[in-house]
Amino acid sequence: MGSKLEFSLRAFAAKVRGFLSRHPHDDEFNDEIQEHLQLLIEKFRDQGMPKEEATRAARQQFGNTTLLQEGRRELQTLTFLEALWIDLRYALRTLWKSRTFTVVSIATLALGIGATTAIFSVIENVLLAPFPYKDAGHIVFPRIHGAQQSQDDGRQGYTAAEVLEFAESNHAFDRTAATKEDLILYKHGEGTDQLYGAHVTPGTFEFFGMPALYGRVMRPSDYEPGAPPVFVMRYKAWKERFNGDLSILNKTFVLNGTTRTLIGIMPPRFGWYDADLYIPEKLTRGANGASGNSSPNWFFLGHLKPGVTNEQAQADLTVIANRLAKLYPHYYPAQFTVLVKHVGDTVLEPFKATLYTVLAAVGLLLLIACSNVASLILARATTREKEIALRTALGARRARLVRLLMVESLVLAMAGAALGTVFAWGGLKLLVAAMPQDFIPAETVIQLNAPVLIFTFCIAVLTPLIFGLAPALQSSQRDINDSLRDSGKGMSSNFQGRWLRDVVVVGEVALSLTLLISAGLMMRSFVALRQANLGLRADHVFQTMLVMPAERYKTAEQTVQFFRPLLSRVQALPGVALAAESSARPPYGGSQSKVEIVGKAHLEDWQTLFQYASEEYFRTLRMEFKQGRGFSEAEINNARKVAVVNETFVRRYLVNENPIGRRLRLISLETAADPHDTSFEIIGVVKDVTNRGPQAPIEPALWIPYTVSASGSRVLIVRTAQDPRTMIDLVRKEVWATDSGVALAYPSTLEDFISERMYAGPKFGFVVMTIFGCVGLILVTVGVYSVLAYSTARKTQEIGIRIALGAKRGDVLGMVIGAGLRLVGMGVAIGIAMSLLLGRVIQTQLVGVKAYDPATLVTTTFLLILTAIIACWIPARRAARVDPVIALRYE
Amino acid sequence: MDTKKSEVLQGTLDLMILKTLHALGPLHGFGIARRIEQLSQDTLRLNEGTVYTSLLRMQQQGWIAADWGTSDNNRKAKFYSITKRGQKQLALETENWERISGVIGRVLQLETER
Repeated sequence: MGSKLEFSLRAFAAKVRGFLSRHPHDDEFNDEIQEHLQLLIEKFRDQGMPKEEATRAARQQFGNTTLLQEGRRELQTLTFLEALWIDLRYALRTLWKSRTFTVVSIATLALGIGATTAIFSVIENVLLAPFPYKDAGHIVFPRIHGAQQSQDDGRQGYTAAEVLEFAESNHAFDRTAATKEDLILYKHGEGTDQLYGAHVTPGTFEFFGMPALYGRVMRPSDYEPGAPPVFVMRYKAWKERFNGDLSILNKTFVLNGTTRTLIGIMPPRFGWYDADLYIPEKLTRGANGASGNSSPNWFFLGHLKPGVTNEQAQADLTVIANRLAKLYPHYYPAQFTVLVKHVGDTVLEPFKATLYTVLAAVGLLLLIACSNVASLILARATTREKEIALRTALGARRARLVRLLMVESLVLAMAGAALGTVFAWGGLKLLVAAMPQDFIPAETVIQLNAPVLIFTFCIAVLTPLIFGLAPALQSSQRDINDSLRDSGKGMSSNFQGRWLRDVVVVGEVALSLTLLISAGLMMRSFVALRQANLGLRADHVFQTMLVMPAERYKTAEQTVQFFRPLLSRVQALPGVALAAESSARPPYGGSQSKVEIVGKAHLEDWQTLFQYASEEYFRTLRMEFKQGRGFSEAEINNARKVAVVNETFVRRYLVNENPIGRRLRLISLETAADPHDTSFEIIGVVKDVTNRGPQAPIEPALWIPYTVSASGSRVLIVRTAQDPRTMIDLVRKEVWATDSGVALAYPSTLEDFISERMYAGPKFGFVVMTIFGCVGLILVTVGVYSVLAYSTARKTQEIGIRIALGAKRGDVLGMVIGAGLRLVGMGVAIGIAMSLLLGRVIQTQLVGVKAYDPATLVTTTFLLILTAIIACWIPARRAARVDPVIALRYE
Repeated sequence: MDTKKSEVLQGTLDLMILKTLHALGPLHGFGIARRIEQLSQDTLRLNEGTVYTSLLRMQQQGWIAADWGTSDNNRKAKFYSITKRGQKQLALETENWERISGVIGRVLQLETER
């Protein structure tokens, strides 16, 4: 056809072939040309020209053979790639020759790139794509946010009736599902184990788009009341508790008294609600008497229809919620909005801030690493001055030289990225092990997946531009006359060169100081957090949740029949000081309820936290009373309607009044399984205790006798004389002696429990930041050292002259260290300025310490300067020992 | 040498080489250069070396093929011959040239008619 495209394609194909085959025909072509020339010469000689003239005429007629050869090369092969290949081999050779430089550079880059990769991996897996479910980005849940409540607060659990309303009347979702958690008592041959279960509504597995790995998930018929009971198990539970034994499939298990058949096992990444097993339940609008059906325990999920926004869903659900608020006013604040949140949001808020801070820190680290390598390259560049000058003299263009040097930088970066990936892999393993438990959704897996590796590759390609370009540009523009003569070595180097190196050192010091200051601040914040008064004494306290079989513990009397003897038996144990019962553990304060104070009218919503307690509760936790007293044994035994409130409750609702003797009503108790008169008399005010988790402000809260109701979780709290951990078995024995069907759930010391929830986050952040700070410090030390070592080596002649003219060793030391410190000083100044600027950003994360805390600033600066002096010392000593005779002789 | 002349003639050089090979059978580089010198009656003074660039390009396109053989004076030389595809290309190019020269001819005739 002869189309242009075909022409170009054939030419290109020939080039590729030639490139790959390494052109074996060069010699042949040369022979051909020479032959032609010979024939031409002969022709001219035949015409009578003398030999010289004939040769000249022949060459003239033939044309420039070198150009011809080059032209042929260009046709025959991909010259660009050829040049690159040569550059690559050359780069490898020269890097191999200066091995120390290569190893240090690659290690430095590996640290920077590895850290960045690790953190990005966490972000990618946790923030960007944490859930493996179908279109998880559009799965949302509603939150009823009362106007009076703090920002992240609100009701997220709904009753069966509400769930049904949402599911049936909405226009925003194309599929919905609801989940309720449940503690499952699994009775087997040896005893009773406690597992976490989740009740799920019809269509849940289709909602998530996850079929079973083995067996099957529930069919619609399995959800019908009266259908044979079945359940599905999570992969992790299957592996850990049943050793991955496939024979348990289709066997029956006694769960909470019901015999259920195991019909399926889910794939590894399905971990919804962090439950071990999933039980089908179909919601009906039963009468309020149906136990469990009217508690707001259901978590509702909707998948947004394509094109429906969060705002539209919010408006849609608000209509439904308003209708529901009229039907069930006790569940709704007077003024509320419906917020629609993405499903990742529940777990991630505290972690997000930490993650982004760490990301910024890692970015700084990478910059430090890059500037280190840049100065190492600059230091090494002068040893190649002659070579570069030679190339320039032979005709190399500047761009070509820059490309040559950049290829070297690229090789370093690629090697650094490869090693860095290995570091990241190891680092991630450690990170995952050290991460606090509820930080990330259960289904999230942090790993080096494809997006992360692509990211690493991009970084590897971009960093040479950061650390390699400036040195390359600088090296390639030297005045070649100076370089070819030797005198370039003696005098102080090229003014421009020094400026660049100095900037690099100053920048490094500044960045490293910023990192160190952040680490210092976070450490102080963490310490302050730990020392913060929780309002109680958590040392020497053992706690455990008790799981009671529901069928035997329906009424308050039944519960009391268990706890009264248990508490007295536990208290009688040697080594036990006090034992108490409660329904919540600090830093949490129990369930939420609307509250009314008899005789007080108010416009806004009044909410309070409430929990159950036995008479020794306040003494066990050493909580202090401001007014009044705790419960007496008689009050507990007779289930009297008395209550103890906290300071915040009084401050909020009974300011300037005597709270003792006032009566209050807990609205949500009026709809619980055992309805009764809910007016309580306040008999005491206790000092505030953290009750809304680690970082939220303290909410109004109150305690009532546990004997008043049968509902609520049951927690056993024991104050011991020695290490509480030694009491676990003794307590368990007493519990089973009282009732063998009751299980202990996650017994531990109260300190561990609180620590895991309060401090784990900040501790994690502070540990990570400190590691980065230390790495930054190491990098800076190496950086300062290498720059100073290099500049003093360059100045050998100058120093030699000075010593010959009478300078003492001390003077030379002073000169070198002074030069170094001048740079470090500038870096410190800039670093402090940067830290103060960034202070506002980081302040939100800090507790008990200001972002410009002088003690931290001073200590970290001092630390940095100390390390800098050490880094300056070695080159300074070497400079002072210069023998002037040798130094001056060099030229 | 005179690079301007070379560039202009590169395309037509391809055509001339193809025609030469088609008419006279396989030739080596020197022989092709001589023939072209003859045909152009010495008015075309191009660098002979450029013949080899043409030959290489046309080899890549598959219009000619190369083989080693012996020349008249018993020396080893590379001989080039036209391929079937090359003959098709030749026919195409010839047709193009004749069309263009016809058009130009008619345009020039217009002028003289004035």
